[in-house]
Amino acid sequence: MDAITTQKKLNSEEIFAILKGFITEVIGEEFVEDMDISRESSFTRDLEMDSIEIVSFSEKVKAHFGEHIDFTGWLSGMDLDQLINLTLDHIIKYIESCQSSK
Amino acid sequence: MPVIKVNNRSVHIQEFNKGARETVLLVHGMFSNLSVYYFNIAPILAQHFHVLMYDMKSHGMSEKCPDGYDLDSMSDDLFDLMNAMHLKSVYLAGYSFGGLVALKTAMRYPERVKKLAIIEAPDPNDDETRGIMEIYSKEFLVDYINNYTDTTRMRMGKRQLDKNHKMYEYLFNETSIKADMNNERSFFASPFIDQIPHDTLLIYGKDSNCLSSGRKLYHRIPRSKLVLIEGDHNVPIQQPAETGQRLKDFFTGWQIKIKQINHRLWHALRL
Repeated sequence: MDAITTQKKLNSEEIFAILKGFITEVIGEEFVEDMDISRESSFTRDLEMDSIEIVSFSEKVKAHFGEHIDFTGWLSGMDLDQLINLTLDHIIKYIESCQSSK
Repeated sequence: MPVIKVNNRSVHIQEFNKGARETVLLVHGMFSNLSVYYFNIAPILAQHFHVLMYDMKSHGMSEKCPDGYDLDSMSDDLFDLMNAMHLKSVYLAGYSFGGLVALKTAMRYPERVKKLAIIEAPDPNDDETRGIMEIYSKEFLVDYINNYTDTTRMRMGKRQLDKNHKMYEYLFNETSIKADMNNERSFFASPFIDQIPHDTLLIYGKDSNCLSSGRKLYHRIPRSKLVLIEGDHNVPIQQPAETGQRLKDFFTGWQIKIKQINHRLWHALRL
């Protein structure tokens, strides 16, 4: 799944589904079953992802959306509080903004 | 997830700015992983350098290994990784235990290191580090994490607590890490520390309980500079931008000087 570079513009629901799939791959289906993953879910508080899992998630996002987004660059501009409070919705909006500026 | 085989073992690596001519190699601390650099420090260094990060054995997403946690073995791991990546020499930085690994690598393979940066490396003779291993229990981990979360504002839920507990239990009960660390108690007494030839940057937190180790190294390593940053032992997490910038300025220092000299020469020749 993460080896394909997306060419067509995706809407936010499609991006959400892709990101949800990445989270499942990273933390495992058995944990995801008990979680209610929504656009408002935060990575550290709600999904309980640690930093190495967020690295893994970031790699999947980069591999999937390819050169159209500078995901690591975007994350590196955040301070610790912003990273802690990062939600799926923030990422969806970022990917959407990259798609529309193509 | 980029995983390469080094000596038949899987090593998780991450790279930024692969096209750059020179490489900065970053070594994380014990019980940590490469993510300590990935989000903030590595991108700053990647403005100039190819940046290579890796997870040490049994850490992060690298393969588990029952032995070889002494500094000779850990520096051999780093040396073998450099060979596997075809890196002749690198700018080397290590944090905490990774700082000791970087120091040992510079002592054993000086020609493979251009400059050395050590962040918060502890004296292995300090009782605190070894005490952690002796009295480890899940209750201890809860206390340890509460302290860590206080100073870094990171939170940890039940799944993370269990995950960390498993890693600590594996390392403490199924590997040679305790004995290997115990055997390194006299590392700071090594006369080779006084002979480190590299420009060396020592970064320590102003409130760190490792600061005395930083001062010891500063007085021992001939070409060293000690820089203090606001924070404690967790400075790379507390002050990632300043840590990254300090490293970048240190590693690019001579390049900027040579560029300035070239610039002046070029101007002089034109006149």
